Amino acid sequence: MAAISPVESANKAKGDLLAYATLSIISIFCAIPFFWVFLASLDGNAQLFLRWPDQWTLDNYLKIFVQEDGGKWLFNSLLIVGSTTALVMVLAGLGGYALSRTTAWWKLPFLYGILLIRVLPPTALVVPLYKILLSMNLAEAAVLRPIFGSSTRAIMKWTGFIDGYLGIILVLTAMQLPLALWIMKTFFDGLPRDYEEAALMDGATMVQRIRRVLVPLALPGLAAAGLFSFISAWGDFLLPLTFLSSPELQPLPLGLFRAYLRVNTVDYGFLAALAFIYLLPAVIAFGFARKFLVQTFAGGVKG
Amino acid sequence: MAVMNAHEARMKRQLLVILLPSMLLLLAFVVYPAIYSVYLSFTNEALTGAGALRPRFVGIRNYARLLNDAKFWNSLLVTFFFVVGSAIIGQFVLGLVAAMALGRSIKFGRIFSSMILLPNAAPEVVAGFMWISMLAGGDNATLSRIVAFFGISPSDWLNTFPLTMIIIVNTWRGIATAMILLMAGLSTIPKEIYEAARMDGATSTQMFRRITLPLMMPTILLYMLISAVSTIAVFGMVYALTRGGPGGATELVSIYIYNQSFTAYQLGYGAAVAVVVLLISVLIGIGYVKAMKVEV
Amino acid sequence: MITLNNVRKFYGSLEVIKGVDITVEDGEFAVFVGPSGCGKSTLLRMIAGLEGIDDGDLVLNGKRMNDVPPDQRGIAMVFQSYALYPHMTVAENIGFSLSLKKVPAADIRKQVEGVAEILQLTDYLNRRPGALSGGQRQRVAIGRAIIKKPSLILFDEPLSNLDSALRVQMRAELQRLHRELKATVVYVTHDQVEAMTMADKIVVLNKGMVAQQGAPMELYHKPANEFVATFIGSPKMNVVAASAKRNGSVVRIESPVGLGLDVTDENGRIPDGPVRIGARPEHMRLAGEGAGNFVTEVSLVERLGVETYLTVGRPDEPLIVRTEGDMMLRPGDRISLNIDPDVCHVFNAAGDVILPARVS
Repeated sequence: MAAISPVESANKAKGDLLAYATLSIISIFCAIPFFWVFLASLDGNAQLFLRWPDQWTLDNYLKIFVQEDGGKWLFNSLLIVGSTTALVMVLAGLGGYALSRTTAWWKLPFLYGILLIRVLPPTALVVPLYKILLSMNLAEAAVLRPIFGSSTRAIMKWTGFIDGYLGIILVLTAMQLPLALWIMKTFFDGLPRDYEEAALMDGATMVQRIRRVLVPLALPGLAAAGLFSFISAWGDFLLPLTFLSSPELQPLPLGLFRAYLRVNTVDYGFLAALAFIYLLPAVIAFGFARKFLVQTFAGGVKG
Repeated sequence: MAVMNAHEARMKRQLLVILLPSMLLLLAFVVYPAIYSVYLSFTNEALTGAGALRPRFVGIRNYARLLNDAKFWNSLLVTFFFVVGSAIIGQFVLGLVAAMALGRSIKFGRIFSSMILLPNAAPEVVAGFMWISMLAGGDNATLSRIVAFFGISPSDWLNTFPLTMIIIVNTWRGIATAMILLMAGLSTIPKEIYEAARMDGATSTQMFRRITLPLMMPTILLYMLISAVSTIAVFGMVYALTRGGPGGATELVSIYIYNQSFTAYQLGYGAAVAVVVLLISVLIGIGYVKAMKVEV
Repeated sequence: MITLNNVRKFYGSLEVIKGVDITVEDGEFAVFVGPSGCGKSTLLRMIAGLEGIDDGDLVLNGKRMNDVPPDQRGIAMVFQSYALYPHMTVAENIGFSLSLKKVPAADIRKQVEGVAEILQLTDYLNRRPGALSGGQRQRVAIGRAIIKKPSLILFDEPLSNLDSALRVQMRAELQRLHRELKATVVYVTHDQVEAMTMADKIVVLNKGMVAQQGAPMELYHKPANEFVATFIGSPKMNVVAASAKRNGSVVRIESPVGLGLDVTDENGRIPDGPVRIGARPEHMRLAGEGAGNFVTEVSLVERLGVETYLTVGRPDEPLIVRTEGDMMLRPGDRISLNIDPDVCHVFNAAGDVILPARVS
């Protein structure tokens, strides 16, 4: 809206100034805590409080991978969260499609159920989840032990439910599915059926229709669901804390937490560098997810 | 009832099949634990003591116990202040200001919004640590140095004002969510309405009070619902900062449940508290639906 | 009375309104019409005060209005999308401007009811815009405008959101309202039919400039340039390239499309050489074999019973002929047309009229 009179122009200028001022204050408030992480990670003599480094160094980063198990932590996080994201994308892609196109009686209750699930506080689920996974673990061990004997332990590291990759991946996937299914369902709702019907007329089976027509069309929705799942699973602390105890399986959040809990003096430079490494993929993923954020929320506001 | 031909029946089956894996995962790892949690709340199950050896059904004894438990009520009170302070007030006001400021055509919009998004991008644990640096350490803490600049004497923030501090931290974390949701809501108001109001002679304040705010109500209510429910669930960040202390001053209900279950090993009791929290969340949800009906 | 004096507007370095002079008398129904992008909506918003005027003057009732805020100009505007406040009732929408000025509620009520009666909205006062039809919403938008007792009402393409049957009905409604309220109206549309039927005065705009302004029939019979000639009237006037050769007081004009006629030009206005000649579809008559001055081939016949439209000429330069009654011709037929030279308009290469039609 153009300002016409001098009064209106003055008002607009005042308003803009106020906008710049408030945005600056809010942005700086948001950014300040990050300064410490960044600066302390490069500080040879880092302290807990914020200070300009007198000794710039990359030693902290080296320490993570050379002295400590940083490499393992990073590997575990990438493996666990990467697999989770991939699994979520596949399941939510298929499931979201089914939810969108089906007219079955269980559609509406299922959708409401999903919404209700998201209302549960995670700390409430952890205990029963632990018991369930424990029993599944014991059952699996009972099956595998006769076959594999002494190497069962090693195998269970990958396929076990407690203290095993499989368990944590499946649980994390289940946690991300509600939102991901919702995103994909909404996405497919907005996709006209013409493409599938054309493929149907061309004689494609469902598998073919999915692979060759739907997947390419669904990429934006999958990207959004994948990014949100990645960010959420990457930051998850409670589930790894509860279900992973062996040192070989520790992902970044636990490594970070344990480093802080050390009995001897805490190495803040190391901590900050580790935090920075942990931070980076989430921020990058967030950068990509930006444009999806408005779309997802806008859809929710209208619907 | 319409008769389904073989093709339609097959389609229905196929759709069910591809939904099945998701349903199974959700049932096994979310729905069943939730139901089991409810069952647990009626037992005296624990990891040590009598409850560990022979857990048995004890009816509503856990619930009676929590009604009399001062620490439980304390955790509810703490959570209440936490939710109202950070989600309802802090994030909402700052998010609304940011959303409206960004709605004007100003430069550097992307830079501002990127910076405001940063806190949300940080994983919980890192967010906790960053604020330990800000708040712990007495005179050297970053916050201390900032307020010293304004002439206020610093204190040991986390021990002196623990609840206020975690409210500030959670506000910091969630401004972006509020901002994005409110921006989406603002964008649904057509610009022409403001022009019509301008021709009718409305001032900026009048436009905000009589047009923007009423039209934003559905969005605002949706935001309140989402943020209240997700704030109740906050755990990791606050746990990393304060562990629930000092003396239970920041013991959110989620931390209380965690402490009961994993520190005191009282699984049945912890489950009872969780069920209460679930009921509260459902009540909030119902409140939202009622409010929306009035609105529309 | 509204006067625009040499008004200009720039978007950055792009001049979008290029020196416009327009006058609208009190009580006139003036229509600004033109193709998309001609600047008609921009001009309207400049009059309203929603856009600034970079050069020139806007004078309303003797006062210069360039720097006056929109709500103090004595103007009301009906937006294309009506811009009704969705969360307020019809009564609240109409009374909004009064409630902003803290007029007592009883007064607002009375005025709103008065306006509602004129617009037949009395039964809908407590409904929200979402529960109204398009035509009703438009009336609410008009109500919101007239309650301010403006000296000028602006309409921004108000009928473009309505279906065609409703459009015809609302055209009549708007004209009735104009007569009853005796208000001055500036109305913007891209539809020349609306312009021709509703206006006391039409201003044709093209690329930010006034192509011509005047009464509808004046523009129809005496267009000042090719743009107005082909914009007003449906189907469009046929204009073809031709060459002129003077022969005393008569100029022979011949066109490669098969046209050859003699135009009387005592005052020597038509120079020898290339010109453009225009004749309206309704002014072209079928002639007998060898009797016309335009021989051509039919490519399309559209029979509507009461009239027939023939598309003739080359495919890349089609011309339309309108004949009364039902003409049973077929594509491929060769026909002879007779065009009365006195109803032709002759334009120069730049598009300005150099010899207007002598007869209507």
